[in-house]
Amino acid sequence: MTLASLTKPWAPMSYGFLDASAKRELRRKMVKAVCVPGCQMPYASREVPMARGWGTGGLQVSLTLINPQTCVKVIDQGADDSVNAASIRRFLSRVSGAPVTLDTLQADLIQSRHRIPEEILREDQVLVLQVPNPEPLRSVQPNMSIARQMHGDADYGRMWLQLYEQIVRSGRVMQGASYPSMVNGRHVMTPSPIPRWDVPKLHMAKHLTILSAGREKRIFAVPPYCRVEPLVFDDVPYRVEDHAGLTCSRSGAKGFFMNEVPQDDGTSAFELSDSEYGVKSIRRAEGDPVDLGDTWYTNGELTK
Amino acid sequence: MLTTPIPDAAETRSNATFDAILWALSRPGLPRNLPEPGEAALIEALLDRECAAYAGDPLLIPVLAQSGARLVDLSEADHVFFGRLLDAEYLRACRVGSDLYPDDGATLVIRARIGQGATVRLTGPGVNGVVELQLDGLPAGFWQERARLIRYPMGFDLLFLDGDRLIGLPRSTKVEVL
Repeated sequence: MTLASLTKPWAPMSYGFLDASAKRELRRKMVKAVCVPGCQMPYASREVPMARGWGTGGLQVSLTLINPQTCVKVIDQGADDSVNAASIRRFLSRVSGAPVTLDTLQADLIQSRHRIPEEILREDQVLVLQVPNPEPLRSVQPNMSIARQMHGDADYGRMWLQLYEQIVRSGRVMQGASYPSMVNGRHVMTPSPIPRWDVPKLHMAKHLTILSAGREKRIFAVPPYCRVEPLVFDDVPYRVEDHAGLTCSRSGAKGFFMNEVPQDDGTSAFELSDSEYGVKSIRRAEGDPVDLGDTWYTNGELTK
Repeated sequence: MLTTPIPDAAETRSNATFDAILWALSRPGLPRNLPEPGEAALIEALLDRECAAYAGDPLLIPVLAQSGARLVDLSEADHVFFGRLLDAEYLRACRVGSDLYPDDGATLVIRARIGQGATVRLTGPGVNGVVELQLDGLPAGFWQERARLIRYPMGFDLLFLDGDRLIGLPRSTKVEVL
């Protein structure tokens, strides 16, 4: 072994921004995360040129997986054109030379903040979700060491109690986003603050989902064809948001998750939260030959 | 002005290798292709100075030394490269982690021949229904020993290597010997 064999030629920047040792650490943790679905694995969470809490966890996963052939899509609450999504997309492409897309069907890697696209993801696609708070037990147990013990014991009684109290107080489960879900019948995870509408999309999905919290330094995963069951009582069924009957005021698409846009006269208009699906629907209506993929929901009903 | 960095050969290799590992473990029982045959690619993609490794095959010792990983006993290793596994008893010494930290369980790499030998049936996360897998070159009682040692979420994760083909078997997979 010589000194030359242990060193590398000088380069102004590592490929994909992260250095090789950061990538190897993330790879080892991703391997374990996939092997124990839904279990939070601690990882180092390196510095990236973005403030913690703005998607650094997802960004590090994307930077590890990316290569010059990976087609990248980044969304923020369903929109491709928000500042956060556009900045991350531009950064990913600048440090890797990877092509970018807005179209869910063309993407190999989708980094997302708080939404899962409306079109069904394929077996070769990876969804990376940014997670602000990876600990589903935090609201019932602020001490994370004890929370870890509770995960170890599969002691989720307080989680159920919290849901029960919401039903008793308010008549329904008040948890809107990050609905606690049982993964592979063993670990309760937070699916990141995706709406209730999106949680059933993770159940027995074809794609691989990796959830990464950069500020909290935790990574977990949902492999394809894995059970993800929202915590519900037998007599109080799981309910998604009441968006099945809503129509998008711009594209005319019906039965998808909508953004509410308040109007001057006090009423509300709605538009598709998945912005690119809306754009494609409009282009299709105008006669452009665009591919609209199969969607998880048809007319507001879950299809699978 | 920022110029886009170009991946060097090692980066391209590690990236492709990890892609194979990640998908092999995400879809247990379905083979993936590595960019080049042998354990060296896996070691390059995963191991560095932070790791403790065990080499069952002495030919792998220089490769592991090059990566910077410490060479340790089987019971302390987080990455185990058995080469051919001769006796299922070796599994007993492997780290399985704890209920609190399942990630302390070891990753085991074993050489086997894919598509020959006894058939096992896999179910669990990553398996669409059932997958039948033929593996040859494993010691007698291997599957029984694995089932006995894995107390989910404690356990070890297996990678079977046949030349440049890789099959993953995470601890979450249930194996039925046919």
